[in-house]
Amino acid sequence: MNRFREILLKDYTFPILVALACSAIFAGTHMYVVHHVGAFNEIFVVNMLDQGLSGGDYAAAAGFAAGFLVARILEGPLVGVLDIGGSLMTGVGIGIPALFLASGITAPVNNYVLSLLTGLGIGIVIGLVIILIRKLMPSGIASAGTNIMMGAGNATGRYLGPLIIISAINYNIPAGVGAFIGAAIFYKLDKPIAGGAILGAMILASCFPVVA
Amino acid sequence: MLIILIKSLIIGAIGGFAIAAGAARMFHAPEVQSMGAFRTLGEINACKGDAVTHFSFGLGFLFNAAASVVAAGALTQDVFHRIVPNWAAGTLLMKDKRVENTLHDPAKMGVAGAIVGAIVVAFLNTIASIIPESTSIIAKNILSPAAGLMINPVMPIIFWLAALDAGKITGIWGTVLGGLAQMVMGNAVPGIVLGILIGQSTEENGYSKATKTMIALVVILFIVIAYFRGFQDKILALF
Repeated sequence: MNRFREILLKDYTFPILVALACSAIFAGTHMYVVHHVGAFNEIFVVNMLDQGLSGGDYAAAAGFAAGFLVARILEGPLVGVLDIGGSLMTGVGIGIPALFLASGITAPVNNYVLSLLTGLGIGIVIGLVIILIRKLMPSGIASAGTNIMMGAGNATGRYLGPLIIISAINYNIPAGVGAFIGAAIFYKLDKPIAGGAILGAMILASCFPVVA
Repeated sequence: MLIILIKSLIIGAIGGFAIAAGAARMFHAPEVQSMGAFRTLGEINACKGDAVTHFSFGLGFLFNAAASVVAAGALTQDVFHRIVPNWAAGTLLMKDKRVENTLHDPAKMGVAGAIVGAIVVAFLNTIASIIPESTSIIAKNILSPAAGLMINPVMPIIFWLAALDAGKITGIWGTVLGGLAQMVMGNAVPGIVLGILIGQSTEENGYSKATKTMIALVVILFIVIAYFRGFQDKILALF
């Protein structure tokens, strides 16, 4: 186990770890496309892929995700932490499949084994690029930028709860009541209020269905 | 159903191993390149050493993830950002309280992560498909508009304000690239993120070689994305 631990801390194992993560994430997108479940991302990001799947316009998914992928790959080696949300889950999980599908290449997304292998290949490349950048550019882009984005990222997370409550209230009265009561209970319990709002809205909206 | 279960177990085990080992490497950063997120690192540190805290922290996000799966088939980023690393840590800490022997060890975290990942991903993916459709519809009708508002305009505004608060150079780069990104990509956030990176780098080191390389890369990125999104057609339509 100690030997394994040392190996896993080496530079050359990083591309392997990224490859395995990408393999799982890319296959997760395969599951979403084929089984409508399993994408490793937030609803709003997966929705962008959905726009492509239903309407054929993958521009939003590809543009959004590619921006994140490149930004994170450039940032990752400089601060020592690759943000898996922006780079792998959004960039590799949404952006690259969107690019594939927009180009008419469906096999890597539709076939399970192929999706695992495609993710593996993409991950190896990303991991190698990051290790290469680390070797070439030890200092340069400021790590302070990361703190600002972290702060903004954390602030963003806080908005989801209130947005869900407002959205539930706009949907119908039972959902709205469930949302704010659920959120209040979760707040009392020191849990993220988004969870309480979702569960409360779903429970009450299911118990008291309103014909729209 | 069986196919979904088998696929999920494999995906969860592979991903869980990599993500948990990557998270353990974060405790050796920046000397060792790791993967995860700074917020994940902070949160793990916040409950370090206490298995129950790690478990309950992950559980809170499992509820969110479960609702999201029901709503839209999306597992949320929290599965890999929070649930797997925290539950892997919690499992190891039940046996050994010393974090340097457990949480900081990529081998142990990797193995624990593979088991937790397989169970969590399989659980979420199969539970979601047995939930009645009417419930999913309710969740989708509530969550989709909220998520839509989140990505536009809430996220761009928060990132924009963060860039403006970070100083003149960062504010200018963030504003220009954010505006271009909103125009070209339909969302300002990627542009503002790049603007913050360039602006902060410039404020600390001036327009160094690394900064200039970054600016060149960003310019190419914008041109490529603009081309693939057909932005040149919109420009031509102006004349």
